[in-house]
Amino acid sequence: MTLMALDTIAVSRGRRPVLGGVTLAVEEGELVGLIGPNGAGKTTLLRAAMGLLHCAGHSSLADLAPRARAHAAAFLPQAREVAWPVSVEVLVALGRSPHLGAGGIGEADRAAVARAMARMQVAHLASRPATELSGGELARVLIARVLAQETPLVLADEPTAGLDPAAQIATMEVFGALAAEGKGVLVALHDLGLAARHCTRLVALSAGRVAAEGQPEAVLAPEVLAEVFGIAAHFEAGPEGPVFQPLRVLHDNR
Amino acid sequence: MSRKLGIALGALVLLLFAGSLLIGPAALGLGESLAALVRGGAERDAVALVMQEVRLPRALLGLMTGASLGLAGAAMQGFLRNPLAEPGLIGTSASAALGAVIALQTGIASLHLLALPGAALLGALVSVGLILAIAGPRGGALALILAGIALSALAGALTALVLNLSPNPFAAAEIVFWMLGSLTDRSMVHVGVAAPFVLAGGAVLISLGRGLDALTLGEDAAAALGVNLARLRLLVILGAAALVGGVTAVAGAIGFVGLVVPHVLRPFVGARPSALLPASALGGAAMVLAADIAVRLIAPDRDLKLGVLTAMIGAPFFLHLIWRLRRQLA
Repeated sequence: MTLMALDTIAVSRGRRPVLGGVTLAVEEGELVGLIGPNGAGKTTLLRAAMGLLHCAGHSSLADLAPRARAHAAAFLPQAREVAWPVSVEVLVALGRSPHLGAGGIGEADRAAVARAMARMQVAHLASRPATELSGGELARVLIARVLAQETPLVLADEPTAGLDPAAQIATMEVFGALAAEGKGVLVALHDLGLAARHCTRLVALSAGRVAAEGQPEAVLAPEVLAEVFGIAAHFEAGPEGPVFQPLRVLHDNR
Repeated sequence: MSRKLGIALGALVLLLFAGSLLIGPAALGLGESLAALVRGGAERDAVALVMQEVRLPRALLGLMTGASLGLAGAAMQGFLRNPLAEPGLIGTSASAALGAVIALQTGIASLHLLALPGAALLGALVSVGLILAIAGPRGGALALILAGIALSALAGALTALVLNLSPNPFAAAEIVFWMLGSLTDRSMVHVGVAAPFVLAGGAVLISLGRGLDALTLGEDAAAALGVNLARLRLLVILGAAALVGGVTAVAGAIGFVGLVVPHVLRPFVGARPSALLPASALGGAAMVLAADIAVRLIAPDRDLKLGVLTAMIGAPFFLHLIWRLRRQLA
């Protein structure tokens, strides 16, 4: 089943086009990696998909009423904002707010919060103020908030930025597990190695358009990398899965 | 808000409310005063008159003013995600003061008991229309803050102009004293004027807890959690303006309560914006009731103004806040 369908999404900032007609769908069981250089429009595409900014074209999520949308998809923004020193447990529980009735947090909600914290290995931080965590801990806690929402689809904007290698791999494995459960995940990534190893499909954005889309080995082909990223790289299907390593800059494509 | 904190704050407010009823220039006994509160008909003597017409409205206004400013402050801080936000930020209190000052200057205020509060409420209403028009339907928190600062400055300048053009020193003195904020010589009519705005504004703001909680994660995350940000902003502005406009109209400008109280209570509610709303309403009521008792005890015959005292407590606290922030950032 299709969890999200974007049809020719176009966004302009003033006169400068940021996205020029992006069409994209995420199906159940997919972990889709959204890659592209800085300024390619990854964040704008995710925000437009969630209906957070005004855009031309059509997003199946943006059409929903706010609460229905919060049941259909969870969104992890790139900025890791926490305004108040609330405890980690309270912060993760905010993911349950679309599910709450008049009675407030119930047993099922508490269980979902506990599951999410266990999955992101932050249960030991439960009573710590969220504003006093390290950058990596906060990133994991915020992902746990998104998991606690327990939606069929997760959109995450650079969830692995600033995480240590173990946490990066663990996070991508959590997203992979979600996909294996039949959920869908769309994740903007800068680490092409992680994208190559964990994503079931990649979408490469370049200057606001889809430059390439498909299996990781097809999207990370030398000619696409040269055109989109301006780099050359080593890509190999090793015994432990695909290995990707950027090697050198070909030209300044900006 | 935890039950323990709720009970503690509730008991404190009750105690101070009773204290406010019992303290005054007419020395009345405890039992005598309380009995006089409910005495009516032919038995209504001087004591009953003092209790029912002087002290009860004063205590009720203290309760309403403090609760309104505390609640509005907590809602503004939660919405703007800034501990330095306060209810006056959207320009309502400055505009309400301008309305009252114009009423005093033109002499309309002396025509009818309700003329002054009515003019202040009109000023508040105009400011709400202006702030919504200036900040725009989709503008973020920053647009709202800037619009509020501009509006406050404009209202302040116009107030200064009215003072400047004041025909005689007595009118000017009357205006200045009104602006200092006080609960002295108010009647049940004043309670009746403010009560509808306080109840309506309070009901609106207290219902916004979940949206404010979600805003802890930022505007994008809150919107993705199903919060309608445009609606939330409109309700915060309308609710805060009703509370601040309502109490400024009857009590004058009383500063720092809405800034200080939410900040003091935040650690006790685990920093959750939703829990801070009722806690700050109770805390604000306690602070204003206590300050209003203090002005009567410190200088019974000098008519020390309530707004002066809250600012005397509030400003040093504000400095302490900045000091702590600076240490945290260092």
